Order: sequence, then C-alpha cells, then structure tokens
Amino acid sequence: MKPRLKVLWLQGVTCNGNTHSFLNYPHLLYVLETFEFLYHSLLPSTYTLEEISTCVHECDILIFEGAYDPRMERVGTSLETLVGHYGSHAKYVIAAGSCASFGGMFKHSDPEHITGLGFDEKEPKGPFASSPKLINLSGCPMHPEWMGYTLRMIADNKPIAVDELHRPKELYSYLAHHGCTRNEYFEWKVDSDHFGTKEGCLFYKQGCRGPMTHASCNKILWNDVSSKTRAGSPCFGCTEPDFPRTNMFETKTNMSIPQDVPVGISKRSYLTMAGIAKSFHIPRLEKRLIDDNT
Amino acid sequence: MITRKWIERIEGEASVQFTFEQNKVSFATIAFPHFRGMEAILYLKPAMDALVITPRVCGICGHSHLFAAVRAIESVYANSGFPLEISPKAEMIRELTLSLELIQNHFKWLYMVIYPELSHLLQRPIADSCRLKGAYAASLATKVLAIFAGQWPHSSYMIPGGVTCDPTYVDTVRAMGILDELIRWFEKELTGISLEDYLNLSSAKDLSYVSGDMRDIDKMLRTAKMHKQGFSYDRYMVLGNHGFSNPSKYINRRIAKVNPKLVMLEDPYTVDEKTYAKNALYQNNAFETGPLARAVTNGVPFIKHLHRSFRDSTYTRIMARSYETALLLEHCKTLLQSLHLDEPSFIEPNKKITSISGEGIGIVEAPRGPLIHKVTLNKGIIDSYTLITPTQWNLSCGSPQTPGPAQKAMIGADSIETATFTFRSFDVCSVCTTH
Repeated sequence: MKPRLKVLWLQGVTCNGNTHSFLNYPHLLYVLETFEFLYHSLLPSTYTLEEISTCVHECDILIFEGAYDPRMERVGTSLETLVGHYGSHAKYVIAAGSCASFGGMFKHSDPEHITGLGFDEKEPKGPFASSPKLINLSGCPMHPEWMGYTLRMIADNKPIAVDELHRPKELYSYLAHHGCTRNEYFEWKVDSDHFGTKEGCLFYKQGCRGPMTHASCNKILWNDVSSKTRAGSPCFGCTEPDFPRTNMFETKTNMSIPQDVPVGISKRSYLTMAGIAKSFHIPRLEKRLIDDNT
Repeated sequence: MITRKWIERIEGEASVQFTFEQNKVSFATIAFPHFRGMEAILYLKPAMDALVITPRVCGICGHSHLFAAVRAIESVYANSGFPLEISPKAEMIRELTLSLELIQNHFKWLYMVIYPELSHLLQRPIADSCRLKGAYAASLATKVLAIFAGQWPHSSYMIPGGVTCDPTYVDTVRAMGILDELIRWFEKELTGISLEDYLNLSSAKDLSYVSGDMRDIDKMLRTAKMHKQGFSYDRYMVLGNHGFSNPSKYINRRIAKVNPKLVMLEDPYTVDEKTYAKNALYQNNAFETGPLARAVTNGVPFIKHLHRSFRDSTYTRIMARSYETALLLEHCKTLLQSLHLDEPSFIEPNKKITSISGEGIGIVEAPRGPLIHKVTLNKGIIDSYTLITPTQWNLSCGSPQTPGPAQKAMIGADSIETATFTFRSFDVCSVCTTH
C-alpha cells in the first residue's frame, strides 16, 4: 500500500456545517483508504487536537473550515500559528465553505478582524492571499462531492484549474440556475405567485440568486436528491463572496425590474428578451403543472 | 488538586477542570472558549433573514434552529393579532424533517462518539470503518430530509405560513423507499431484531433478544459500570411540542406542567477562565434535557423501566438516546404515510412582515432538548434576538453548591476518562452552547 497523503482538517470560526456536509459523502471509505487524517473532529484521526496544537507535525493538505480570525485559539494555540505552521508545509490548502473562502457568515461577528484564508469577500487578503496553493470550495456549506472531487484530483495528481476566486472551474463555472427544474418559467418570465408551489420562477419576487451564482447545486444534487430551488426555496447565492446578503427572500427591483440580471448578460439584452417573453400569454405555464381537471 | 482537560470532538472544544478528592472527582467546571455572536449578527436584519442566519448556529442541528426561528416569527404574527394558518401537511412535513435531523444526530453520536469512546475506555479498539456506519446511516436520514427541504445541512425551507416545497407522491414514495432502507440497516446493524420488536422491549431483561452493535454497546456499558454512575438531578425539562414530545417537567418523581416564561439565564461560575456559555435554569433549578427527558415525561415504557432500575445513570442516558432513534424512525414512517398532498404547502400571511411589530417565542425539541428563539420585531426588522439552546441546560456551569446536570453527573467518577465519557453521554455541542 502506498503511503497515504496526510490531511489536517482544522476549524476556525465555524458552525461545523462543512464537516457535517462532508459526512454525507458516499465514498468516505475511499477517503480513509487514500488519506490519513492527522486530525478531523469526527473521522478517525492519528492525533488529538492537543497534539496537533504543538505544531511538530506536518501535513500534505490543509483543509480549513470556518472564517479566519488570527487571534482565535484552538486548545491554546492561535490560528495564526496553526495555519502558519501547517499551511506553510502543505502542498494544498483547501478552504472548506464560504467562511473559509471569503469570510462568509462569521465575518459578520467581527468584520474588522475576520476574513477568509485568502480573501476578504472578493478582495485578496489573509494568510493565503494570492497563494497558488489555495483552493476555495465556497458554499454554505460546501457540497460534499465538491470536496470529494478535489481530494481525488489531488490524490491522482491531476491539475485543478481554478477561477479568479480560486474555485475549481469544473465545479464553479456552472450557475445554480443550470439544471433548475423551473427553467422554463424563467425563459418565459412566469413568476411564482407565492411560495409552496412547483410552478413559477423564484427570480422575480422571491430573491432567487440562481442566475448570478456560480455553483453546481442543480447539476450535482444535494444529498443526491434535491436542491434549494427544487424544494421551492430561492438560491441565496451562498457560494459567492457577498454571502450573506440582506433581505434574502426578496428580489431587489427598480421599477419592477430585477436589479441584478444573469451573469455576463447585459441589462439591455436581458430586458429586451424579458420584454418579448413576457408579452406572450402561455396558458400551459400559467396553469398548475399537474392539472387536476384533465 | 485541579486537572485541566481539553475535551475535543464535541462540535468544538470544552475545557473541563476537575477537582479530585480521595481519587474521585469532587467537582468539575466546564468552559467553552469560542464565541461567534449570532444574536448580534441578527440585530437589525429583516425577520425573514433569520431563516437563513440561524441555521448557521450549528452544523448538526441547524434544521432545529430553522424550525425555532419560523415558530418565533409566527408567534410575533399571532401576538400582534394576525395568527397564521398552517396546513396540517406543512406541519407534518416540518415535524418529519425535524425528526430526521434528530435521527442523523443520534446515529452520529452513537457511532462516531459513544461506541469508539467506550471501546477506548475499555481498551477494546474497534475498526475505523465502524465510525463510518454512523455517517452512512445519518446520510440516509438526511437524504429523506432533503427530498422535502432541498438540502441538509442549512436548508431554509420553513417560512412563516408553511413550507416552500410542493412534493408529489413521487417524492413521498422515494422518501419511503430510503426510509425503509434506513430501517433495514438499523435492524441489521444496530439491533439484530426488527424495529417493531425493538420498540416492544419492555425491560432490561428483554435486551437479551437484541444482537448487533447495540448488544455490544449495552454489554460494554455494563462492564464499564455505567449503570452505577453518572447520576445527576433526575429532573427533566421538555418544552417543545411535537408528536414525539410532551412539554412538561419531571421533578420529585412527578410530571408537571411547565411555563416557558420561567426559563432564566444566569452567568456561569468560573475561576480564572473565560467561558461564553450562559446557564439555562427553570425557577433557579438545573434540569436535564434531551432524549432521556423526553422519554421520562412521555412515559416510554422501556426507558421508564430502565430509569426505575438505573435512575439517570450514564447507561440510562445512552440507552434513552439510542431508543429514541427507533421511536423517531417509526414516527417518520407514520408521518410519511399520513401526508395529504392536496393540502396547501403555504398559506400566505394576510399581512406583510414589514408591518408586523411585537414579541414572539419559538420553541422546538432539538436533538439535545428544548431550543428557544425569542425575537422582537419592529416593522419586520429584528430589534432583539435571544437564543437559548439545550446544551445551556445540560452543560451549565454552576458553583460547587449548585452544579449543572453534567457537572453533577461527573462527581464521583474515579478517573478523568470515565468522567469525560459521562460528559459525552449528554451529547455535547460547543457551537450551540455559546452561539
């Protein structure tokens, strides 16, 4: 058996949501066979966190979950020391989730001091700012398959191309909108009147960020079965640097036109298309999807 | 002599300082060093944003936070004269997904914490793959949950007035299929007998019918004499109202009514150590919360029987949580079969949230016990938000005269290891305790 790559899973300012998301990964056995966890808060590990905090060990991959506050201590050692030591020896540093990537939810507990590992929202900042080692798996939480993909690519020595926010392109070039079961309603501009229905698009009123959010949630489904938009919830844009925004269940509009339009599409093109699509009256899309009367 | 021990693998860390007298633990303090300020993050946010923010209190019980938040906002509506109507379907789907979150929590705790820690205590190491059993079973539960909630962790599918999903029977049939698979797994791996037979156990003697991992855990607990230690106050508190719980307290061997208004917070007792956890008490008294509390106040026959024989020992506490998993699996099955999908998922509130002001309280039973969200809204904007989590009851840190439930349970332990194991029997969660 070839020696396993050494992984250390450290936590900063966090809710542990990425840890629990990853426990849903269907191929954990592969992960344990291929990687040795020096420490993980629930998976079998070689050392205790107390042993890790002495900083005498080294890892090949540092996975960091949670926002980065250099002053925060884990069992008596500051994150600055822990991340500095393990990160400098590691070949890869993986930010698990939006807090570790951009500051995320917990940046808001102390915006002056807290950042992600390499970004403060979208500005490069933090101990791994502009570091080629850094891979951001943003998302609140990140999808377990995204971590599974990244680890296996590393184990198999395959390159991982990343975007300007250090997110793997193969995962984050898609939009949450791609594969959404409400796509046809988006095309023909049929709004969802209210929550709790299969029908209608959540982009116009309910705050859905799907067309502006880089994430493969509707391609690689959550828990293998669904996604927010499939369950009638708007996408909150949790993989983007500006998560969490405010008023997340409402679409910001100017004169009833959505303030933000799909990524890479000019407002003028969008409005032209939307205007034409909206001018048609399409009875099929205005009825319930499954018609009780026929 | 005082010995400080970092307790890890508890959704963060706790620092416990043990005082020993005559080779036994005579007192222990519990401190939680991490703090995120969730309540401050919520301040001045639109009320609906609480449905996105509060699940992020905790990666393992975020769904319980979502449920408490939605109940709190609905209570503000009701208190300002606009009670919302929730369809029975939406109520049942909420209860189903909450129950599934409890199930995933219990499986992880049993297989990723209790089983390996117990084996370690008795120096009988178990295979690494054993921990993965917990993750596998939990992932089946969250799969069923996600069919309705879209994802787990961190869904926001419960909203004032109902739920966002609009399932078809294709979804419920799929959910039943996965739930059946989880029940079969439970029967094969954990109990070795059918769910029905396991639910029909009535006394400790009946445990001889059980095989599988539960048999091993039962035997090891007794070998480690866990039925003779870990006693706490034998006082229990349940505040969340569900099909699987009965809001009440158990004190002096009697079940009595409770009034959530009498829940109070107190600063923790500390010596030279910073902690961010406030103690939760009821009329100045410490109460244990969680599965054992729910079973005792709900009169679950098997657990009542164990409780009569072994009181609130570490053994009873662990058996109660394991047994609750079975009760909840059965409960989920019933809920899935009783859903009437022609009912509305969501009934739009008559009044916009931006015109709603007032106070509200939302209470649910989370995996570890009652979870309380209190909110004050001013025209739909959060003016104040208070979270009281179940671990603030169990892991409260009182003085030597008034120790909290877990503190009291550790007194008398003959080593740090056995005390720590008893500590873990409360299913410790650091992130919720301090939030």
